[in-house]
Amino acid sequence: MRPHAYPRRNVRLSALRVSSVIIATAVAVILAGCGASKSPASPATSGPKHGGSLTVLEGSGYAGNWPGLDPATDTDGAANQSYMDAIFGELFQLEAGGKTVGDLATGYSFANGGKTVNITLRHGVKFSDGTPFNAAAVVYNWKRDLAATCTCKPVFLSPPTITMTGPYSVSLTLSYVDAPFINALQGNVFNWIASPTAIKKLGAKAFALKPVGAGPFTVVSDTPDSELVLAKNPAYWQNGLPYLHSLTFKSVAGDQQALTAIEAGSGQAYEGMSTPQLVSAFKAKFQTTAEPSTSPYDIQLNTKIAPFNNKLAREAIYYATDAALLDKGLFQDTYPPGESFTAPAGLFYQQTVTGYIGYDLAKAKALVKQLGGLSFSLGTINVPTAISLNEAVQTEWQAAGMKVNLSDFDLTGLIGAFTQGKWQAMLQTAGAYDPGTGVGVAFRFASTSPFSGVHDPKLDGLLNAAAATINSATRKTDYAAVAAYIAQNAYGPFLFPIASYNIAVKGVGGPGLTTPIPVTDVNPEVLWQYAYNNG
Amino acid sequence: MSVPAADILTTPVPAGPESEAAGRASRGWLRSAEITIPGAVLAALLFFCFIWPLVYPVPKPIGGSLLTTNLPLWSPGHILGTDTVGDDVMSRILYGGRVSFEVAAAVQLIGLVIGGLFGMLAAYRGGWLEAVLMRILDVFIAFPSLVLVLAISDSLGPSETHVIWALSAFSIPAFGRVARAATLRLRDQPFVVAARLSGSRAWRIQLLHLVPNMLPQLLTFSLLGAGITIILEGALDFLGYGIPPPGASWGNMIAAGQSFMSVYPRFVLVPSVFLLVSVLCLNLLGDGLRARWGVR
Amino acid sequence: MNASVTVQPARRAGGARARRLASSPALRLSGRRLLSAIPVLWGVTFLTFLTLNALPGDAASALLGINATPAEIRAFSIKLHLNEPLWVRYGHWLGGVVHGNLGSSLASPQTVASVLEQRLPVTLELVAYALVITFVVSIPLAVLCAHRPRGLTDRLCMVLSMCGISIAPYVLGLLLVLFFAVDIPIFPAIGYQSIGAGIAGNLKDLTLPAIVVALPLAAFYTRFLRADLLEQMQSEDYIVTARAKGLGPWRVLTQHALRNSFIGLLTVIGLNLATLIGSTVIVEQIFSLPGIGYELLQAISNRDVPVVEGIVLVFGAVVVLANLATDLLYGVLDPRIRHVRSRS
Repeated sequence: MRPHAYPRRNVRLSALRVSSVIIATAVAVILAGCGASKSPASPATSGPKHGGSLTVLEGSGYAGNWPGLDPATDTDGAANQSYMDAIFGELFQLEAGGKTVGDLATGYSFANGGKTVNITLRHGVKFSDGTPFNAAAVVYNWKRDLAATCTCKPVFLSPPTITMTGPYSVSLTLSYVDAPFINALQGNVFNWIASPTAIKKLGAKAFALKPVGAGPFTVVSDTPDSELVLAKNPAYWQNGLPYLHSLTFKSVAGDQQALTAIEAGSGQAYEGMSTPQLVSAFKAKFQTTAEPSTSPYDIQLNTKIAPFNNKLAREAIYYATDAALLDKGLFQDTYPPGESFTAPAGLFYQQTVTGYIGYDLAKAKALVKQLGGLSFSLGTINVPTAISLNEAVQTEWQAAGMKVNLSDFDLTGLIGAFTQGKWQAMLQTAGAYDPGTGVGVAFRFASTSPFSGVHDPKLDGLLNAAAATINSATRKTDYAAVAAYIAQNAYGPFLFPIASYNIAVKGVGGPGLTTPIPVTDVNPEVLWQYAYNNG
Repeated sequence: MSVPAADILTTPVPAGPESEAAGRASRGWLRSAEITIPGAVLAALLFFCFIWPLVYPVPKPIGGSLLTTNLPLWSPGHILGTDTVGDDVMSRILYGGRVSFEVAAAVQLIGLVIGGLFGMLAAYRGGWLEAVLMRILDVFIAFPSLVLVLAISDSLGPSETHVIWALSAFSIPAFGRVARAATLRLRDQPFVVAARLSGSRAWRIQLLHLVPNMLPQLLTFSLLGAGITIILEGALDFLGYGIPPPGASWGNMIAAGQSFMSVYPRFVLVPSVFLLVSVLCLNLLGDGLRARWGVR
Repeated sequence: MNASVTVQPARRAGGARARRLASSPALRLSGRRLLSAIPVLWGVTFLTFLTLNALPGDAASALLGINATPAEIRAFSIKLHLNEPLWVRYGHWLGGVVHGNLGSSLASPQTVASVLEQRLPVTLELVAYALVITFVVSIPLAVLCAHRPRGLTDRLCMVLSMCGISIAPYVLGLLLVLFFAVDIPIFPAIGYQSIGAGIAGNLKDLTLPAIVVALPLAAFYTRFLRADLLEQMQSEDYIVTARAKGLGPWRVLTQHALRNSFIGLLTVIGLNLATLIGSTVIVEQIFSLPGIGYELLQAISNRDVPVVEGIVLVFGAVVVLANLATDLLYGVLDPRIRHVRSRS
């Protein structure tokens, strides 16, 4: 689960978003109307053949490490999304265009002023051990998740009341309105329902190694952090699916290793390729699908301690940062620089922000001089892309007369650096598909988050308001106000969202693998039940 | 770390017939060549790494312009091209070489002084001191020094000084064993026995008799050890525990370059060539001197 | 180390044969060495424990993930007993080990024993395969070189072996993958197939990694063996005797000199074993092999102390046993030593 040094952690570009937790920003939104009961989307491409087998490579340090596959204790939840979705299926899945559609659930609705979410479940579904999938199972799972010592569980401001309102319906009641709840299920442990019978029979530890769910595949063998072999679930509720009779996940050290491995035939697909220099090499031989990120890189500044408790210092950073040049030099102009935490593939995208301070080297130099010099350290996660970006940023800032020390951390060190509070500047990513969820905005800007450098009650208020309304247009304006406030106070500049790519050899396909699906965490989800290998 | 580590080198390698052939004139020039050529190449490398940047305006190894990234070899102004953030590769090689040689020299020196001293004292005194010391050395040899090295780097953070201390965990026991073996051999030599019988103090004997006679062996051993240290330092960088970027070191250049080896193999090959040549020269020099001095 | 005087064991029931066994020098040697191995193993594990606990960050924050609040980390630490003082924790672990329980991994739902069970065979097989390649290459080569020293083959050999020692294993691994797995697709680039799933596939998967581990070793062993053989050919009495008896140079080389060179070679292997296992870390990473070296790396970064301690204990035991075995083999291979022992 930790990213290693160079050969390892390419996919870690948002290791920060590793967790599937809905952070304290889980304030509420009432979603208007009922979520209609929709049937899952039909396969995206034509003519998939039944009975193929597929080996998917995953970068170690992110998805390539899985500490355990029990939803209650899977700290790598979002990273392990592919395995969890394949084994457990999902209550709700995200499809192309950002549509949330029921998979094992059939729909949702809000009641009680929005404080209650009612979810209806699909009838006639069985877990792969033959026991029935029903509301009792969902309630059992959710209660078990909440009782577990794992930060992968959803965070609620007050304990929810979970009840079975019928054999196939569940309700969750809070003392407040939680609007992003359904969006937030993506990559979250609540989305994966395990067989209670199997948990009780095997015990938690054994279950984590060989879990039982109601998804399209069952576990044949599990060598943690190395290889996970899955086979078609004969009892899968969708007739005729999955197309694949065998799905294997293998861990590789990084993007370069994945390239040579696929070229040598050791795998047919790879998720989360993020090394820009290799894009051309992959594109030359394989289907390379850009999965646009929903989370731009940003520079976080710690306003609690010097030097960035001084607004002038923060403004100097804005003036000294030329995001367009970084994009050009490192990524050949591929990514659109933005001034907020939103990205083209996510909700409420806004590229420019009123009051945002743009690049102006002369002003930067003047400010540095006025401050009598500016000296600090800049950290980031030890992923090659992040490290190069850090170096390039350092060069830009040093041109303005600042003295910048670089450091990079593995995940454990990064958490430690944040929680100890002595960090000064960090290159991280901020924002999410729905800014109100996951490693979203509050993660980086709310006063209650240990990973935020900002402690401003007024900003907290704005963030809460943006997550407490159901109206999309209103939410958009609200988030625009948040971005404007951040810009006004110069809390930290934004760069651009870096895309990762999903790779597949010819003949292989599937939604999310060869077609884009918005990314909710780091990698987009792949709907493995529709994946195929015709080759 | 696949290279036989210091442990192996503590085993006296038989000198072979080379020492016998030392007297033959027809082999004389060849013998010299085995020492002078690697010696000269090494001297040239050291010159270019340490002195050349002081004399000639070499581009800076960090802070390169983002507008000139990935320039190929033989580009004007950048003889070995630039890397993905625009830094000049040749200058990173030179500054990286400094790190490699500094780390190698420091690690060998620490091993020589601390390990060598302990080994010699332990073997000379014998008795329980030697037994205890040897047990401690055994612990270090059985101990996967990798754990120690990784732990030190991981906890103290990557920096050149920490790398030096971490790698000394290998060199101190190695020199200890060599010094001990040498002392044991020398201790019963007539001239030492004579000195002892004539009432010389222990430290005098050690300083005046043992050390000068051990020196050739220790020096050749340290040359070979230096080569291994350079490779190990590179391995540490490769695993992410060594010199942190953007600082240049051959190891971290290889590690960074291997992320896109299919597309830009030169980022791996160029530092690898320098690595190979340096280590080769150190090994050849060490071997040649060992043969010349008839050291076991 | 063989020179100490031993006491004759008292007469026991079972008669002469039992007496002979009990006074066997090999047994006495083994017993002594095993006894002295215990403090070494203890020292190794204690040192590891100290080192790991000096590290900032701990398993709790590593395991809980990035969103853990400081309060949650504290609570989890208490649950894992990480707040107890050093010696208490070490005591717990040691107590467990003495009873055969290596504990549970902190980072995954497996016990340390099952982690070792899964991963150790992979590394051991890799190391064994590498050693086989090493011997297959270096012994004939060394004999060939020693046969005609300073000749053309010899010089070529020495140059190549010099290069072999000097090349960095990580570079070698990457180059091998590029050439042999991609350009000439013979060997797979990654992955590991267990023996149960097919020995041919298993060996194919391990060939490239084993070559990477073996090359520097083979280079070194070739030089070492060659030099040892030459020294023997020059100076040992029994060689002169053999030649005088009219034996041809090849026979002398292979049947006499080589046998004795094995002693030195074995010592060298024994000493190198710990480092050898350590060297597999990079190789396992490059080739994605689920072995113990890679696991050690991950466990250290996860601060998964039980797993690291378990691996260190196993390494230490392997090294100690290997050294013991080489010591015993000394006796088998060199009759002079056997005699010295049985007289002492």
